[in-house]
Amino acid sequence: MSATNIDDPRIVEFDVRTDEMLINMGPQHPSTHGVLRLALRTDGEIVADLEPHIGYLHRCAEKIGENLTARQFVPYTDRMDYLAAMNMNLGWSLTIEKLLDHDVPEKGRHLRVLIGEMNRVASHLVAMGTYGLDLGAFSPFLYAFREREKILDLFEKACGARLTYSYIAPGGATADLPGGWTAECSEFINQFKKIIPEFHTLLTTNAIFIARTAGIGVLSPRMAIDYGCTGPVLRGSGVYHDLRFHGEERYTELYDGYEFDVICMDSETGKYPDSHQGVYKDGLSYPEVPSDAILGDCWHRFYVRMLEVVQSVRLIEQSIAKYDACSGSHGEPIKLTQKLPLGEAYLETEAPRGQMGFYVVSDGQSNPWRVRARSSCFSNLYVTAPLCRGVLLADVPAVVGSLDVVMGEIDR
Amino acid sequence: MAEFFNEYIFGNGPWSWLGYVVAALIACILVIHVVAVGAMGFIWLERKVAGRIQDRLGPTRVGGKFGWLQTLADGIKLIAKEDFTPDVADRFLFKIAPYVAFAASFSAFIALPFADGVVANHVNTAVFFVLAVLGLEVFGVILAGYGSGSKWSLFGAMREAAQVVSYEVPLGMCVVVPVFLCGTMNLTTIGNMQEGFITNWLVFNDPFTFVIAMVYFTCATASVNRAPFDLAEAESELVAGFHTEYSGLRWSLFFMAEYGSMFLVSGLAVILFFGGSNGPIPVGDWLANLLGGVKEGSIGANLPSLGAITVGVIGVANFILKGVIGVIVMIWIRWTFPRLRIDQVMSMCLKYCVPIAAFGFIGAVGWEVLDLPTPNNLDEKSRYEYHEKWSHEYLETQQQTKPAANDRHARQAVPTEAIITTVAVSQNAVEVNGGKQ
Amino acid sequence: MELMAVSWAYWHQFFFIIFAGSAIGFGCGVLISQNIVRMAFYLVLSLGSTAGLFFLAGAEFVGAMQLMIYVGGTMVLLIFGVMLTAQKDFVNMKTHTHDWILATVVGGSLLMVLLFVAFGSEDWRSPQDPTDAHIVDTKAATPLGLALTGVRVDKLDDLNDPLNQGKSGYLMPFIIISVHLLVVLIGAAYMARTKKLSHATGLRSSRARLSVFKMEEEDEVLEEETYVVLRKDKQATNPLDTNDDNADNLDEA
Repeated sequence: MSATNIDDPRIVEFDVRTDEMLINMGPQHPSTHGVLRLALRTDGEIVADLEPHIGYLHRCAEKIGENLTARQFVPYTDRMDYLAAMNMNLGWSLTIEKLLDHDVPEKGRHLRVLIGEMNRVASHLVAMGTYGLDLGAFSPFLYAFREREKILDLFEKACGARLTYSYIAPGGATADLPGGWTAECSEFINQFKKIIPEFHTLLTTNAIFIARTAGIGVLSPRMAIDYGCTGPVLRGSGVYHDLRFHGEERYTELYDGYEFDVICMDSETGKYPDSHQGVYKDGLSYPEVPSDAILGDCWHRFYVRMLEVVQSVRLIEQSIAKYDACSGSHGEPIKLTQKLPLGEAYLETEAPRGQMGFYVVSDGQSNPWRVRARSSCFSNLYVTAPLCRGVLLADVPAVVGSLDVVMGEIDR
Repeated sequence: MAEFFNEYIFGNGPWSWLGYVVAALIACILVIHVVAVGAMGFIWLERKVAGRIQDRLGPTRVGGKFGWLQTLADGIKLIAKEDFTPDVADRFLFKIAPYVAFAASFSAFIALPFADGVVANHVNTAVFFVLAVLGLEVFGVILAGYGSGSKWSLFGAMREAAQVVSYEVPLGMCVVVPVFLCGTMNLTTIGNMQEGFITNWLVFNDPFTFVIAMVYFTCATASVNRAPFDLAEAESELVAGFHTEYSGLRWSLFFMAEYGSMFLVSGLAVILFFGGSNGPIPVGDWLANLLGGVKEGSIGANLPSLGAITVGVIGVANFILKGVIGVIVMIWIRWTFPRLRIDQVMSMCLKYCVPIAAFGFIGAVGWEVLDLPTPNNLDEKSRYEYHEKWSHEYLETQQQTKPAANDRHARQAVPTEAIITTVAVSQNAVEVNGGKQ
Repeated sequence: MELMAVSWAYWHQFFFIIFAGSAIGFGCGVLISQNIVRMAFYLVLSLGSTAGLFFLAGAEFVGAMQLMIYVGGTMVLLIFGVMLTAQKDFVNMKTHTHDWILATVVGGSLLMVLLFVAFGSEDWRSPQDPTDAHIVDTKAATPLGLALTGVRVDKLDDLNDPLNQGKSGYLMPFIIISVHLLVVLIGAAYMARTKKLSHATGLRSSRARLSVFKMEEEDEVLEEETYVVLRKDKQATNPLDTNDDNADNLDEA
């Protein structure tokens, strides 16, 4: 072949190759996170192209929002990212409160931080467990779910539901936490802190896990921003951006007075923030970044989630103390048929999977004129296609798992 | 057994062959039972061990508190399932594939000794035979993958075949080390030569052999497609790989073959490295004397003595216990580690297992040639002392029957004494082993 | 004892008929079958039956070798090749009639020659007296192994031939063949190596497509990826310096 091949990528050099196969991964598939169909074109074992097909879980939530009042729409937000339902409720409630220009009392604010961070822990546990399962490690999945069961038991005591809570409503929360809940929560946290190193042993530092995830699916910061990736996907590529610090006033004031770090690799030192204040085993620092791992690969995205769990535990401890010290109302929810003022409001919050935004346009009625949910996973998913070109077939679940997508949020 | 049949039932005339066929069938059925009941036990064991590793209980309902009969219940369910083949499948190949896999796994048990003399067929080149037959299991997988007529199954089958065939190389290299340490391919003899205290086991012979034993175990795990090398069954990626389209009895045959192979390679490791049917402390002699009868009673044409039977039973129990421990280690590894990709599996074979096996082989040879100290007393033993008892008596009865004048087989067979003397002569002539026998 | 010797013979014939019959039968199956993958599988069974014949003759080593080399090696390769290339058109092979006639003529004449030679030998002309057949464990492995390392132990007593007396073995051919196989292995590994995939080749593989599966947005994808490649060096600065944060100013309706 001529030497101009490198320059003109339309001329192809034909080696001995097997036929190209059109393979469907999903929608029913043990590995895809929900009903996702990935149409792959593979050349033997190497993926030539990948096209995600979504919409299998579309339930017209946004259209339904035009026919319901603000409080009636809260259960629909539950079912978007059903693994982090409290954060979805929180996002919607904050948006409505922004539209109404309504403030939540102190106790309610601490309650929201407490519940939101607990759900972040639960969501990251699912992400971590299922990621191990995708790669063939069966046991961490069960350990993660064992811990998650305890969190879900606590949530059941608080609001009566295990998965779709509809707890945080515009104005505050539907009910205050029952007596003794914070004590049980502290007990859980104290026990959970000791278990976090187990997950690191099983997955983060495991040689086979590193071989499967390090250097795979490297997402450059530029590409991450161009595709609109947010959350651990963005921070795993080294972009220092967390809405709890850099977001809107109305959202960041929720975390006023709390101490925690943004988990992102420092570009100068090449290290992650290590100030875990004794949450992660006393005296022990986080596992080292392996030499094979490139910033922006699957391992870093996984690692960011693991470290965020520790920061969430810090936040939970602080919020329990602040909540117990507070007195007053937890924030009564607004009226069921509250009329929304004329106008629009958009607010993005830092959900466990990324930046989740809700946009409400109101024409003065109690039903909004338009509801729009900006899904974090929707943007995160589409970076799969460029990431997976040229990787082996077995790496596709590794990449999709590291992006941690939930189809309920993508399809709404 | 065959003579028994022929004398009382079939007569010794033209129907005498039926006696032998029936005897062979009974032997076959016994070996199949070893594999099938073993598989049943191992599936239960896997579910229990997996449950405990995952912080849960495993089966607890069928058959009492520990769920002993769970596998039996599952087996009954599987047999009762609808038997269908996919439309695009090649029916003949689809149907025959599980039987090929099962036959390969089961045939290797023919040459595997469970104790001294307790073996289905006394194969002199047992190591070679077992290795050859283990390599046949790949056919079942390839045919299953192709015969299912789906791209996913084909993928899984191709990957698995490449993996099994590649890992036969380091497996063979690892297996050669005990063979040359003992000087025989006869598995019974290799097992017998490790009798005595635990220091006599070949794994403790020298550090290179220890490394070789670990490499053997890794390659054996890869060879039977267990995690972390279980791409062929990778559930999260290919649904179920090459056996996606199989259900019911055919699926259970694949799994019987898999668990049979697991026990087989584990048993092979036990015989080659971990002492065979010998326990850590030699109790055979005084136990046989305690029970009356000699330890080395004949297990040939006459009824063996009580001492011999006891030693045999203990030997079988030892072997099975050690084999089961090997299987438990495989199960343990499966439920702890993630899965390797196919290219990582291949690079592990070619870049790690093969060089380490080669260096271990050279090192072990060097250790023996340089006559460095070993904790066992293999040097003082002649392997012909430890050749299984049956063979001495069998050959004696051979020489008592005068072969016919025009018997080509008897003429061309090299008599045992000739081999012993010629080997001794050749060893002296070429000064192998520095004078060791 | 005599009775035992007599009775053994018949079972030997029985098993011989089974193995030989299946070897011949599956061999015929290879000829007659039209599905190429089934042909390969019948060949596997035929070679396996031949191994069974070896075991029946007491040659365990050769039988195991047959299984390992022919069935486990050659046939795996054959089945791989057949399976990978047996797509729609090539699965069924129809043999034309003139091919059949030619094959019958050639094969038949060869068979005649073989039978003539076989029955020409004294010992094979009459059916064997069944008292002779029994299995002897010939223990061929040790002399074979020693011969390959240079000592012909079965010719130790043969003092007539000056080359022998136990010294002349097959060491030289053994070494030559081993080196030969090593060369072949290295050559095969070299020929089958994957070319290094650079980023550009990654792009190339996404363009290497059959015309049937052409994707529409080919050019845009090209643009975007070259954009990324070109802009790689511009990532030193924090990309968020210029970008406004997503704080919208929509709530002043």
